[in-house]
Amino acid sequence: MTDPAAAPTTADRFAPGARVRTFRHDPPHHTRLPRYARGKRGTVVEPEGPAALADVNARGRGDAPVEQIYAVRFAARDLWGEGDHHVVLDLWESYLEEDKGDATDER
Amino acid sequence: MARINDVGGTQGFGAVDTTDDTEPFHADWEARVFGIWNALRAQGVFNLDEFRDTIESMPPTEYLATSYYERWYLAVVALLERKGVIAPGELDEPGGAR
Repeated sequence: MTDPAAAPTTADRFAPGARVRTFRHDPPHHTRLPRYARGKRGTVVEPEGPAALADVNARGRGDAPVEQIYAVRFAARDLWGEGDHHVVLDLWESYLEEDKGDATDER
Repeated sequence: MARINDVGGTQGFGAVDTTDDTEPFHADWEARVFGIWNALRAQGVFNLDEFRDTIESMPPTEYLATSYYERWYLAVVALLERKGVIAPGELDEPGGAR
């Protein structure tokens, strides 16, 4: 298994404050993107450091890509339709895309 | 295919138990399962994500009917069988679970 600490550092794709959107698809394998946070818009808080992508690492082959993990903040209202608090999730870069603010939405 | 473990935000499971329970284990066998799990991980028999994946792959009825460390035990046994460390059903043999 790749030692994340030994992985070459790459430029972060998302800067703190970046608006991102999580992927909507529901993979048939292990993932660390919970169902309630799929297809949702959030804001990057900060990078948390690289680690092997869990979705691939779960297959036990030892060839999982090492990606940056980001702390991403979501408004509870965006996740569940109610609540005044925020929820921060640690999410691999693969789970995120730039939020272009297009009209298509999950609701 | 969201799995049975992925219930965040799902209603109908009753109130969340917020008891301040600081005991890590409630039976000796739980501590042993935790120790065995740690030893196997340290030896690289399986990684954390494989372990989580195995628990999440349990049939929903079995998942919901088992306790936290019962799931750990069942997942460790399943991984040991899958990796060929033990034979299928070996721990069911007389003396196997000694």
